[in-house]
Amino acid sequence: MRKLTSVGELTGFRHRILSEKDVQYDKPTLVVSAGTCGQASGANDIIRIIKRYIIERSLQGKISLRITGCHGFCQIEPFILVEPGGHLYPNIDMENTPRVIESALKNSVVNELIFKEKRENKAYHSQNDIPFFKKQTRTILGASEKIDPIRILDYIEQEGYAALEKVLTKLDSDWVIKEVLDSGIRGRGGAGFPTGKKWGFASASGKKNEQKYIICNADEGDPGAYMDRSVLEGNPHAIIEGMIIAGFAIGATRGIMYIRDEYPLAIKHALIAIRQARDLGLLGENILNTGINFDIEIVRGAGAFVCGEETALIKSIEGYMGEPRQRPPYPIEKGIDGHPTCINNVETLANIPVIIDKGSKEFAKVGVPGNTGTKIFSLVGKIKNTGLVEVPLGIKISEVVYDIGGGPVGKAKIKAVQTGGPSGGCIPASMFDLPISYDSLAKAGSIMGSGGMIVMDENTCMVDVARYFMNFLKSESCGKCFTCRKGTQRMYEILDDVTKGKAKLEDLDLLEELALVVKDTTMCGLGQTASNPVLSALKYFRHEFERHIVDKRCDAFVCKELVGAPCQSACPLGTEAWRYVAHIARGEYKEAYRVIREPNPFPSVCARVCDHPCESKCRAGTSGGDPIAIRSLKRFITDRFDPSIYKPKRTKWPDGKPPSVAIIGSGPAGLTAAHFLSLKGCKVTVFEAEAETGGMLTCAIPSYRLSREVIRDEIDALLDDNITVKCNTALGKDITINGLFEDKYKAILLAMGAHKSRPLKLENEDVKGVYPSIEFLKAFNLRGELLAKGRVGVIGGGNSAIDAARMALRQKDVESVTILYRRTRDEMPAFAEEIEAADQEGIEIITLVTPNKIIEKDGHLVGLECIKNELGDTDSSGRRSPVAIKGTEYEIELDTLVVAISEDAGVDSIGPVQKSGIETTKWNTVQIDQKTLLTNRPGVFAAGDLVTGPNTVVQAIAAGKKSAVMIERFLKNEELIQPAKPCLPKVYVEPVPVDTEIQQYSRAETPRAPAEWRKRSFAEAEVSLSVEEAANEARRCLRCDLEFTKKPELEEESLPTGEKTA
Amino acid sequence: MIKLTINGLETRVEKGTTILEAAKLLGFPIPTLCHMEGLTPYGACRLCVVEIGEGPRAKLVTSCTYPVEEGLKVRTASSRVVKARKMIIELLLASSPQSKIIQDIAAEHNVRQQRFKQEHEDCILCGLCVRMCEEQMMAKAIGFRGRGEDRSIGTPFDVKSDVCRLCGGCMYVCPVCQLRCTYNQPEKAICGACANLDPPCLEKEQFDDMMCYMKPCVACEIKKD
Repeated sequence: MRKLTSVGELTGFRHRILSEKDVQYDKPTLVVSAGTCGQASGANDIIRIIKRYIIERSLQGKISLRITGCHGFCQIEPFILVEPGGHLYPNIDMENTPRVIESALKNSVVNELIFKEKRENKAYHSQNDIPFFKKQTRTILGASEKIDPIRILDYIEQEGYAALEKVLTKLDSDWVIKEVLDSGIRGRGGAGFPTGKKWGFASASGKKNEQKYIICNADEGDPGAYMDRSVLEGNPHAIIEGMIIAGFAIGATRGIMYIRDEYPLAIKHALIAIRQARDLGLLGENILNTGINFDIEIVRGAGAFVCGEETALIKSIEGYMGEPRQRPPYPIEKGIDGHPTCINNVETLANIPVIIDKGSKEFAKVGVPGNTGTKIFSLVGKIKNTGLVEVPLGIKISEVVYDIGGGPVGKAKIKAVQTGGPSGGCIPASMFDLPISYDSLAKAGSIMGSGGMIVMDENTCMVDVARYFMNFLKSESCGKCFTCRKGTQRMYEILDDVTKGKAKLEDLDLLEELALVVKDTTMCGLGQTASNPVLSALKYFRHEFERHIVDKRCDAFVCKELVGAPCQSACPLGTEAWRYVAHIARGEYKEAYRVIREPNPFPSVCARVCDHPCESKCRAGTSGGDPIAIRSLKRFITDRFDPSIYKPKRTKWPDGKPPSVAIIGSGPAGLTAAHFLSLKGCKVTVFEAEAETGGMLTCAIPSYRLSREVIRDEIDALLDDNITVKCNTALGKDITINGLFEDKYKAILLAMGAHKSRPLKLENEDVKGVYPSIEFLKAFNLRGELLAKGRVGVIGGGNSAIDAARMALRQKDVESVTILYRRTRDEMPAFAEEIEAADQEGIEIITLVTPNKIIEKDGHLVGLECIKNELGDTDSSGRRSPVAIKGTEYEIELDTLVVAISEDAGVDSIGPVQKSGIETTKWNTVQIDQKTLLTNRPGVFAAGDLVTGPNTVVQAIAAGKKSAVMIERFLKNEELIQPAKPCLPKVYVEPVPVDTEIQQYSRAETPRAPAEWRKRSFAEAEVSLSVEEAANEARRCLRCDLEFTKKPELEEESLPTGEKTA
Repeated sequence: MIKLTINGLETRVEKGTTILEAAKLLGFPIPTLCHMEGLTPYGACRLCVVEIGEGPRAKLVTSCTYPVEEGLKVRTASSRVVKARKMIIELLLASSPQSKIIQDIAAEHNVRQQRFKQEHEDCILCGLCVRMCEEQMMAKAIGFRGRGEDRSIGTPFDVKSDVCRLCGGCMYVCPVCQLRCTYNQPEKAICGACANLDPPCLEKEQFDDMMCYMKPCVACEIKKD
């Protein structure tokens, strides 16, 4: 390339390139991004295929290929973007590449391969329509799409070096500084110091003609942030142009790019770009004959996080250990070798050509006053679309997370974002309305930082995150300041104790105190911000710390020492799922039954209707595969044994005079409490309002899910001579709390459940044909009445709605069943397998509708007016709330309507409770002390749905079990506490030898009767696994327990060595 | 001359003076650990922090390294300073409780216990020995290595340095390891420095003019065994 010798020549050069381009404008171009991320996911193979294809078929004149840096959407790499048209083909593989080339030649689109939004199943033909791109303002990243980073011509074609041209024409450094100042751009490295101001100081600093430096800080060390790398890789000339302009503005003649050595591609591209610029006469002595000298060299950083701090960075360039020093004097006064040095971040410098070229006014239009321009964030973590996003400052966090990021990956709710990496803090989901600006983030206890944005959901433990960052900081602190070095170590120590359940509550105060002192007394930015992750986590998520310390629980199932085997700690009953799975693998079925039955008096019931929290936390599932089918395995075992074979050990009451306990309600909670109290020797009377025991199990759960015999057998097995059952005895009608106390009952447990469906509160809800769901289910389950007729509508999305719908379908006069739910299917609270089963049986599920009006004729239901909803803004629960669309009202004809929106205890149950002076809540539940289960009246406990509202069976059993412990303690005059300890595996079960074929087995699906047959039958739809299936499934278990248990040592080995040899 | 206020007292000092020097001039006590006259201020121990500035811009800086500025308002014992100082002392006590100097400072500031896990470290990385070696003894035999929790002081590659003249200056200035240095187990000894040096006096024959600063002398103690 010939050296350009004047500014005019540069202009002419660009015109020539542009005019040549005009000729071949129609030619389609394939764009492949091959930054580090692209290359890692196989972009090089795609490029090779394209090149070969073009050469072999001599398509050189008809199609072109452009290799660019990263575009930002890392998730879809490697991809091909076809221009013009912007067709985006994500995650492309080598086989499909030729198809894309062919269609590009024909100006058509490959529909199977084009970008699709999975959740909405919508295809996007143009990149600009994709939500991820649509909401961004891609000033910097957009340029990377157009430019091959190793071709300076591409850059010049895209108006590159036009800003330099402008500067060199004016030759007025004050004007440049004023433009930058007016643009309002603030340092993108994180601290947000106005760049124009810095340049002003740097320009005024130093003696006349003193050597000055400009440094581009590309020592990007935050875990999870990589925007600087991407910009350097994708558009190095923009940085060079920014540096030349900066150098001219402050009077520096030497520029240094400090790039960390972990970025080889960035270094390579920067080196090439510098050489090209030098060849073209844009760098070096006497640039374009304007008399200005400026050259750039690259210094590679050895990868210390602290070298991102400017004084440490300078020390590192000088050849010393990267160790910050006291400021003042600031680098703009005394930098490299004592000379004035101005340090700017990569992104800041990349913005400079934009400011100069477009003008400061145009630049300041983007963003909000005080925070102008765009900022690149690396959006990573538990989010659907990960990658680099460039947004105007002042945008809300929620817009970035939900609109661009696409919200959570699975069903887990997003709870926080961590901004600014290890120096930043977390911001809880409740504050997602916060506009992203330097000041607002600082106020919230975080920082902008270089722009890392790590999204965290319910499966992220905040204590663990704080610990992780502290671990990073304690090894990355330079170690000079005692408080930073020792402080981070001590903070880590405390956080580590918390995650292990060893900390005390006082430690949190010490942690906070220490964090504040570290923030206050350290010298550089690293130490001053090192406390942010801890302080913000303590500020917004203190309850998580306390839960670790007090309850020894990690709700995110992250902290190993508290979680143990996830299946066990996820179970409200603490069932050792891993243990019976291990026994099944070994063929020890009786032992497996004992393990299942010991903590749970309703194993066969749970084997059918449990919501299996054990499976949702199973590590085989959370680590990417399918969870072990624990519930099916439980069913496999319970089906082989009669409940009566298990004979638990019963103890006698210590003083020989067993106290009497009254339990009101014979559901899972009540009967469990009765069982465990009876084992302790108490005399228990269970009062039941209905004619049959079992509570919701018999009233509400349909027999095709849980057969009546199973319930009966299980209840019969747990009743013994300590337990008396009195049916048809309702509280308030036949008995009162005062009366029970007078009858010498020492303690009372209220466990009546929640048997009243909540009404829609619409007009005409009392006409014939409209039924509350529980009433509808009870009518059939207890009395065999068939209430559903003709076309049936069910309102609601929970389990009772699905139960009612499937139940209605099985009644003989029913034509069709429709479920109406106001949100989307993903948000239905019912179990996924139930929804799926309803679907298979031919039940129509209409989502995003709200009932508006019940239409009646002659006192009988004839139809329902509904209104359609759309998803509106994200509410504090992280779900998008349904909003009615005006004018979309429509009517559907119905003969039966079942209302299943929610349940509570209802006036019949709660009234007598209130009358006896027991506190209740406005949701018709009983107010209790969560720790002791005691109501405000001594001796009266409450548990189950009556306290929580509608809940799962296993939760009710757990509550019943806990109440038995509390009542026993109460009767023995002991303190009502259950000391918290982590629920860890204790028993060693020898694993079966590893079978190499095991990899081939996938999760055993529970066999279900065919939909055609079961939709007319009340018999149980699920059947047991076969012996072989069960054994294979059990062998898939990862055996998380083995980390905590030890093989019992053989006797010889335990002998002292001396004896053994003798 | 630069005008500044320390604890409400106005004073004028020469340009380039540090806050610590100015405060000493006025008689305000500021505890120090890594500071020593004749050595470049380093600001490692953070014990000498003082509060400068006002309102939301108030901050803590180390007085030993911060040069005075015109109109600076300094508070050497504000509640913020005292709180920070006490925490630093606690951290010091938690790491090196055996140091007489640290114990004395703790007593002076009424810190009687620390709340962290007790450690027994021999070095607080104050860097006095490194500066002593470089600036006063012109040797540069020892220096810092590693970063973060792995930072330590020693000779390059942990071998005896050719430039070390066995002067013992490093041991003389150490605020923590005196006990250990006077202790007669060389393999457990000092900030990395003496561990690699032969105890100075053992080779006295070669360095007749060398004097040992230690009281009692490490080498002599070892010889006695």
